[in-house]
Amino acid sequence: MNLGRLISNRDIARYALPFLLVAIALTQVACVSVTHDRGEIENYLLTQQPEKALTTLDNYKPEDRNKSLYLLDKAMLLQMQNRFEDSNSTFEKAKTLTKKLDAISLREQAAAITINDSQRSYLPQNFEQVLVHCFQAINYLQLQQYSEARVEILQLNELLKQKDDIQMPFARYLSGLVFEFNREHDNALISYRKAYQAYGSYNNAIPLMLKEDLLRLTDYLGLKQEHKKFLDEFELEVWPKQQAFDQQAHAVALVFNGLMPRKHRFEINVQSPSDGQLHRISIPFYEHRAVKVYRAELSSETTITNSELIAQLDEQARTALDNEMPSIIARTIARVSIKNTAVDKTREDSPLLSLALNIATFLTEQADTRAWNTLPQQILIMRLNLPAGTHDLKLTLSGSNLLGTIQTWPQVEFNKGKSRLFSYHWPESYVTQLKP
Amino acid sequence: MKNQWAKSLTLIAAISVVMILNGCSTVVKRLDSGEVTDLSGEWNDTDSRLVSEEMIRDVLGRPWIGSFISDNGNRPAIIVGEVRNLSHEHINVATFINDMERELINSGGVDFVASKTERGEIREERKDQELNASNETVKQMGQEYGADFMLKGSINTILDSEGDEQVRYYQIDLNLINLADNRKVWAGQKKIKKLVEKSAFRL
Repeated sequence: MNLGRLISNRDIARYALPFLLVAIALTQVACVSVTHDRGEIENYLLTQQPEKALTTLDNYKPEDRNKSLYLLDKAMLLQMQNRFEDSNSTFEKAKTLTKKLDAISLREQAAAITINDSQRSYLPQNFEQVLVHCFQAINYLQLQQYSEARVEILQLNELLKQKDDIQMPFARYLSGLVFEFNREHDNALISYRKAYQAYGSYNNAIPLMLKEDLLRLTDYLGLKQEHKKFLDEFELEVWPKQQAFDQQAHAVALVFNGLMPRKHRFEINVQSPSDGQLHRISIPFYEHRAVKVYRAELSSETTITNSELIAQLDEQARTALDNEMPSIIARTIARVSIKNTAVDKTREDSPLLSLALNIATFLTEQADTRAWNTLPQQILIMRLNLPAGTHDLKLTLSGSNLLGTIQTWPQVEFNKGKSRLFSYHWPESYVTQLKP
Repeated sequence: MKNQWAKSLTLIAAISVVMILNGCSTVVKRLDSGEVTDLSGEWNDTDSRLVSEEMIRDVLGRPWIGSFISDNGNRPAIIVGEVRNLSHEHINVATFINDMERELINSGGVDFVASKTERGEIREERKDQELNASNETVKQMGQEYGADFMLKGSINTILDSEGDEQVRYYQIDLNLINLADNRKVWAGQKKIKKLVEKSAFRL
């Protein structure tokens, strides 16, 4: 039978858009399975099984538009397993892809304005791009490749220069640490100053470690006025002198605490009383989570130090979403208008087709809830000053269920005046609020 | 009319299939290693080769080498020390050092001493020979050739970005230092400037 006899050209043109939208609606339903995979990954992380989370992630073949997220998650899961080199090579792939995605795709923009925002390739948020450099630098520090960590910090500073709308105090502080690992005190002080300013701009408490570093380096570099200003402001009676600092070795530990809250959809569904048309507005929001670890301790045979909070990444994520919200809302309004116009125009030709189109446009109206979910919710830091030599290090976590010692680093060699960095992920956390 | 439509549809389908299949296949094209291929604008094999060739040509053409030969009666022995990567990129410094070593050795103007890592491995071998090799073939410890000069340096970058354009400025500094008295007998510098333009749009 000739297909042309059944469907005319005009019919094809007429049916094409509704069929396309119905097909996309079906694929959107299929995306639910991806969400289930994310739930499975999260469950493995909450029970400290990053290797199983990685297997689950690898079983899920990402669409091209989700490839950057896949790479970011994979790199983070590799880091959780102390596979630092693999993690960095995956982060590099994510960075290369991000550079490509930075250019505008007219096809994807058109899809975003007619179907939904999830049709675009996921371009990591600015704060996520900054964190890629941070986590790569942390990997290099743990591999004791300090020059390579320095490369990441230079790239990070270049990125922060270009995206002057983001303040990342942790990134600035990490920059200072990396310069100190490379024995560049002047560059370290510049980064510590910027960290101090960034914490201030967020009205966050300035970490004690940063205060000590600022006092130590302004004193060492002979910046008397600045040193006095910090002395007056911080009111610290005791802070380390550079000469004493150089006589000791230093173990710096980072605890990546909790898990980045997931994004959900807040939806308003209405049916027009006049023509019965279905309308939906869908906006993303972050759930609220609470961590289970409140404090960490790093100890050797003779000394012990407590952690302090150095980064609250969920706040960064919420700020980024708040900043993006005006453009999300503008696109949503434009999209609803386009969809309504299409439904109205189709109704004149075929009410049945108009109904199908309305259902399709209604179903496809979904907020983009993609985000880098394997990030920690917050970062704790501690520095243990030790005599040079070989030491056994112990990390103890305290929290709502009294965790105790969870990680040891036995027989670690420390050279005089040198620092070593260690990290540990503890993603356990729970959702406290599931509404905007 | 309908036949025309069917033909057009078949043609579009055929083109789409070809495009998809073409997009899926990996294309490999062999290039001459001397050919300049700038893909990302970052430091690449061409930069490494050109800089090492030019720097070594410069170091071997300066008066310090003639002075050393007239004072000592033999060619100077050189060792390559650390070349620090202070740039914004993860540059494989090892390939750059290898390029320089090759140029120095092949110039015939200087003797070349094995690096610290290589020396360690060779010393291990000599220790093994003391235990296991015959008296006629065993190589004695303490007979190494000491270098007269060390070549050290750094790779620096300055980036300047505006919109979709970026100027990448590389500065490579190398110094030749007399191991006997720490005098710098040669300072070389090579600069590379690249303009990288990013596309504002993609498919």
